Amino acid sequence: MILSVSGLSATRSGRTILHPTSLDIEQCESIGLVGVSGSGKSTFGHMLIDDLRSKGLKVAHVPQSPEEALDPLRSMRFHWHEAERALGLDTGSTDKKTLFTALKIEDGDLRKRPWGWSRGMQQRFVIAMALISSPDLIVLDEPTSALDPVTAAATMDLLEQHREDLNTAMILITHDLGLAARRVSKLMVMHDGRIVEQASTEDILERPKTDVAKYLVAHRSWAVVPC
Amino acid sequence: MLKVDHVWVRRGAGFALRNISLSLFPGKTLAVVGESGAGKSTLIATILDLVKPWKGEITWAGASVQTCSPGLVMQEPRAAFNPVLSLRQSVLEPIVARNEDMPHERIKRLSDSLELSLEIFDRYPGEISIGQAQRVAILRALIAAPPLVLLDEPLSALDAVIQKHTAKLISDLQQEEGFAAMIVTHDLGYAMAYADEIAVIKSGGIEEVSTPQTFAKESKSGYSRLLMEAAMALGALEPSA
Repeated sequence: MILSVSGLSATRSGRTILHPTSLDIEQCESIGLVGVSGSGKSTFGHMLIDDLRSKGLKVAHVPQSPEEALDPLRSMRFHWHEAERALGLDTGSTDKKTLFTALKIEDGDLRKRPWGWSRGMQQRFVIAMALISSPDLIVLDEPTSALDPVTAAATMDLLEQHREDLNTAMILITHDLGLAARRVSKLMVMHDGRIVEQASTEDILERPKTDVAKYLVAHRSWAVVPC
Repeated sequence: MLKVDHVWVRRGAGFALRNISLSLFPGKTLAVVGESGAGKSTLIATILDLVKPWKGEITWAGASVQTCSPGLVMQEPRAAFNPVLSLRQSVLEPIVARNEDMPHERIKRLSDSLELSLEIFDRYPGEISIGQAQRVAILRALIAAPPLVLLDEPLSALDAVIQKHTAKLISDLQQEEGFAAMIVTHDLGYAMAYADEIAVIKSGGIEEVSTPQTFAKESKSGYSRLLMEAAMALGALEPSA
């Protein structure tokens, strides 16, 4: 199955922040949406999710900060049950334990409200909610920003694993080309509300064409080390 | 030089820092890396004398660290400024506090080095980008020419590209000014690229202190290896072909 959106655009206060954009996503494909801050990546992500959901597709979303996904007045257990209900599942029917253990949040107290958990744990809880059923597409917006590197790497590995098991496509939105390059097969570079370049990850890393892509490629990692 | 000598800090019934010994020479950069909760920020607080060690002592050139008035740069640049003061007022606070003359020349020079235009100082913290705010915070930390600057996760609020740019500016400025820098970070990539020495801290204790070259080749502790692998898996470090 191919997921496709076309002609998505957005304006804010009279300014166009997303020019008409189309995208086809193949089954199980992993796409990285990269660009500097303010290039329209998250906006495109939001538009894409709304559009696909309105067509009846199952799209999981991990927003940039867990506060966007969690209600500060509701317990973590409430959030979990709410997610199950939204997917039409019986409450308590999902295998929470395995997911929580894999994400190392099994010690989190579900009676607590989000702010009773650390930001990193909240972020992983949101990732766990996104993995409950088998979505057609999972959109991750800077999923590792609240996590320390060791946890971040482990979380990305786990996501990758689940994605393969579930045949889910992924869009990874990030300003960090180094991260995206490790995780996706295709890259789309955004600038000023437009996708200015798209190609396989290898092609972009080796032959970036636009100035933005060249800039991102040049700044993608800190250092080259022997190992 | 900064000398942290067998420092222990209590936390509850246990210890937040255990037997930490480090030294840092003028002009050099020491990176302290480790995961959240390892005690990195407690170490900074102890150096600033905000937390009293249970045992051990911390000195700058043989005297208390307070005598050198170290500069401090923190993680969240916007939160570091009073929102109702103009940036000029915030930046000049260290000078006003000491009743010193306004260092116009110095502000001009630091602004040039940090790629900040002078008109930015008339604005308020909410009116500038987060990358600009962090550079203003760095300027404020340096305005009184401290010989020691402590940077607590100085880049983690910035995006990946601006991080690398800001790191370069800090490093160039350090060449000009010659201050000693202690950078607390969880980003091993940053540490590998800019530190003279890397100290790995875990559960309040030091696991390893080594140069980036040695660190890459022969990390001793299992935890350092784990950090290396994570940095590679996240693309912060590139393996050489």
